[in-house]
Amino acid sequence: MEIYKVNTPEGTRDRLFAECVEKRYVQHAMISLFEKRGYSEVITPEVEYYDLFVKAQNPLPQESMLKLVDCEGRLLVLRPDCTTPIARVAATRLKDFPFPQRLYYNQNIFRANGLDTGSDSDITQCGIELIGAPGLRGDVEAIAMAIDALCSAGAEKFHIELGHVDFFTGLASGLGIGKKRKDALRNCIESKNFAMLEDLIGSISGGEADCLRKLPYLFGGAEVLEEAFSLTDNEVARSAVKYLSTIYRELDTAGRGKYVRFDLGLVQSIDYYSGLVYRGFMEGAGTVVLAGGRYDNLIGGFGLPLPSTGFAVYVDSLISCLPPVEITPLETLVHYEPGMLSEALDLLDSLPKGTAELSPCTSFNETMALAREKGLKQILAVSENGITEAKLDAKP
Amino acid sequence: MQNLKIAVTKGRLLDESLTLFEKMGLDCKPVRNPGRRLIHQIPNYPLQVVMAKAPDVITYVEHGVCSMGIVGKDTILEQGNSFYEVLDLGFGACRFALAVMDGFDFYGDYKKRRVATKYPNVARSYFLSKGIDVSVIKIEGSVEIAPLLGLSDGIVDIVQTGGTLKANGLSVIEDIRRISARLIVNTAAMKLYKPEIFGFIEKCRASLA
Repeated sequence: MEIYKVNTPEGTRDRLFAECVEKRYVQHAMISLFEKRGYSEVITPEVEYYDLFVKAQNPLPQESMLKLVDCEGRLLVLRPDCTTPIARVAATRLKDFPFPQRLYYNQNIFRANGLDTGSDSDITQCGIELIGAPGLRGDVEAIAMAIDALCSAGAEKFHIELGHVDFFTGLASGLGIGKKRKDALRNCIESKNFAMLEDLIGSISGGEADCLRKLPYLFGGAEVLEEAFSLTDNEVARSAVKYLSTIYRELDTAGRGKYVRFDLGLVQSIDYYSGLVYRGFMEGAGTVVLAGGRYDNLIGGFGLPLPSTGFAVYVDSLISCLPPVEITPLETLVHYEPGMLSEALDLLDSLPKGTAELSPCTSFNETMALAREKGLKQILAVSENGITEAKLDAKP
Repeated sequence: MQNLKIAVTKGRLLDESLTLFEKMGLDCKPVRNPGRRLIHQIPNYPLQVVMAKAPDVITYVEHGVCSMGIVGKDTILEQGNSFYEVLDLGFGACRFALAVMDGFDFYGDYKKRRVATKYPNVARSYFLSKGIDVSVIKIEGSVEIAPLLGLSDGIVDIVQTGGTLKANGLSVIEDIRRISARLIVNTAAMKLYKPEIFGFIEKCRASLA
């Protein structure tokens, strides 16, 4: 069909010039940080067996994965998530190495979105996985890495919001309600649906119920933790709050407290995450720029229980909040006489990157005409007598 | 204070939203006399009102180009939700219902039922929750026509008074759920502009009470 020659598939796009410069800059900044801190790169296949993402208790609905069929009729998916394949790698290829292992990735995930929603189907994620690192030190390192990664990319007005799955699960199990009602409750808190939450909790009274009613409001700075602590006697919920306070103290001492916020109603994907969960918000982005958490049970599904944590930065969302880069304009055309190619290339290499290119013309007049067409400032002509400079006037 | 944008569903919900805003002390004159402009600054409150069609309200809020929105629960149920649904505004009240031609026994046959609707996701998930397999046909305009022409066995639609149904010889056999207008908030905006947004929500809540 004619239109498929000019259009790219739904949710994808060509990236040109400044878009590439911006993207590579941000990726390079984060990768250098990861490497400085001892993280090593892994690249997993773009296609994986569908079964991998079903078996791993992954919360991804099957309609959000882009599928292919291989030559034997087996169902494949374009990588919908970076962490699950890395969990597989950790439990298989790395199983005899000493843990913790520090891994990073910089690759695309693919998602099938609805038609005409304006959402990307290929999403670049740059992130880390800290595998086999239990508890506080692992969590603190991961959050510090998340903050420093965004800073390294040039982000200023952002915050990382922390939550803990035990706060909700502790309160909910104290209510003594079934799974179905618990799920409904979680949905209400996730969408901060105050009205429906009230209907659901309704007649239930007691400490847990009162605290759950307030849960959608419990987000903001460190003062939220004190409030949350005072709202409940539930041991599980309280120890989750204590844990968040400890993390905050550690990060604050490390000079990173100003980036940290809390949302105790952060209950998304709590079947997948097992402790601390976090997300990054930034002025200018309507969605999260970073997402992560602790997933102590995921790798166990591949036969090797390893407490782990990690996050992904949504590179394109991040870039959309950063000031645009200025790209160096082309100024010079290098003309060369027969036999002078080597000298002309040396000259090109000596000029600032991106400011000059080689003329494909054999006659100087043609080079002149081309330089005018391109609106360039000068021609450098290389001959046996050396380099002569010809300035061009501004376009008539 | 951050000047926020709120997308409001055009039509009846707009009118009731403006009445609410006025109760909150907001000067809505520019929106009341909009001319052809679609975005209006409230003169005495840091808020811009964006007039949009219901599904677009959700789109603008999800993408974060509007921090808040006012939209019916019907559209929310049909379009899915990755935003905060913070307040039931009460107005725009109606219900989703299953209606058939008078006297028709919808469940009285073993054949797969056909249901016409403007809300295919709502209809599908309703019958799914009942464990009944139906085929859903999307209709854009007056759904009541479909069973009259013999295209479907029933319809799933919004019912307010039931007048249109009655006039066409149809009647409600099941209520599916209540619907009303909701205040929705973009997830990132909620976190970035908490004082402004909570200030607005509390003002709304106080005026509703």
